[in-house]
Amino acid sequence: MKMTKIYEGSHQWIMFGRDESKPANIIDTNQYVVRTADRCLLLDPGGAELFAPMMAAVLHHAPVDQITDLFASHQDPDVISSLGLWDQALTNAKLHAPAIWEGFLRHYSCESIEYVPIPDNGGTIKLGSVELQIIPAHYLHSPGNFHVYDPQAKILMTGDIGAAFEAPDAPVFVDNFTAHVEKMRHWHQRMMPSNQAKRVWIERVRNLDIDILAPQHGRMFKGDDVKRFLDWFDALQVGIAV
Amino acid sequence: MTNQTKSQFVAVASITSELSAVMVVAKEISLAAANAKAIAFRAGDKAKGFQPITDFINELAKETIELVTDINIHALVLYRLTVNEFQKTTAYNKFELAAKMAGDAVYANTMQEPLDNARLSMQDCQRQFKRDVSQLLGQLEAVMHHARAARVIAANSRIEASQAGEYLQSLQAVAESVDKAAHTIHDNVQRCRIALSIYRNN
Repeated sequence: MKMTKIYEGSHQWIMFGRDESKPANIIDTNQYVVRTADRCLLLDPGGAELFAPMMAAVLHHAPVDQITDLFASHQDPDVISSLGLWDQALTNAKLHAPAIWEGFLRHYSCESIEYVPIPDNGGTIKLGSVELQIIPAHYLHSPGNFHVYDPQAKILMTGDIGAAFEAPDAPVFVDNFTAHVEKMRHWHQRMMPSNQAKRVWIERVRNLDIDILAPQHGRMFKGDDVKRFLDWFDALQVGIAV
Repeated sequence: MTNQTKSQFVAVASITSELSAVMVVAKEISLAAANAKAIAFRAGDKAKGFQPITDFINELAKETIELVTDINIHALVLYRLTVNEFQKTTAYNKFELAAKMAGDAVYANTMQEPLDNARLSMQDCQRQFKRDVSQLLGQLEAVMHHARAARVIAANSRIEASQAGEYLQSLQAVAESVDKAAHTIHDNVQRCRIALSIYRNN
């Protein structure tokens, strides 16, 4: 599992991905960790297949008992089907996840972890002095979908928005936006169902000060590529399968 | 999922299936008993020896139904336990792999406690499963005992039926039906026992 520190300040952001032990027929995912002095938040911790390499990677940054929070942007298995395993490993943790998916996500088993339902209008995740904003992104692609924004690190974790599918050894940041567009086009047109939801989301995130846009698949966007991505996505017609 | 786990799921699920057939047959015995009682009543003195047998058949059917109902509840508990054991075993294996993959990570040693806890939980589940299987086998044995008793009653019924003059054929049919039902119960329950017995001492 490749680990890349993407922010270092009063707390850290670490991106995990490009797992070389992953079976070839399951989708590659990026996991993000926000590490404070004594707590650790896993954003979209991944599928059950990924649990062992992910846990092993996190142990380079935090002890098990300081993994206190999980966040699931939506209900997909590549996002959170590892829940039942985290549930047995962690004794004092919370899962922040969309309220509408609670009854569904509990199928993965969530007994010792406290489920903190996120209302439709979003909320915050407080990790001591670090406060993260939960940004609604409904219908992008899931009907109950959230992103996480860190105003201090200026990172927006965007789940499936900005996703692309890459070779296992691809760089973690986009280095040629024009070339990258074709890796994203079909995914966004096919997986994002609503142009209206897309426009609302773009208006919302254009108001945020973003240095890094961090999707759950593929490469992250930084600097001017963030605006390039938002402009490109704004102009894209989505929901093409009907 | 290992082949043994798959077999365990199938064995536990098959109990419910076999027992639902037993339940149907037990209800048939109960019906046969009611039928026999009516015939014996009509036959009067000619079927005097048959009358107490009908009560006994009815009681046996009732007890079998109660036992099977109880076993079904236990089978459901056993199924949940099987699911639980599968989850605990999966967690233990994944935790072991995580600990191995963590190698020289700074906090690798903190995985030891979850690993130890997962092993204990898994072993608890395995012990509980064996205990519950033994208990269920005991209950199945009780049903077998009822089936054997029903066959003895069926044999006695045939003898009593032979004294019943023009009611002979009707009462013999009742005896045949009880005997056949007892056979079916015996065979179904025996299949349950065979499916489960390999897990008692595994």
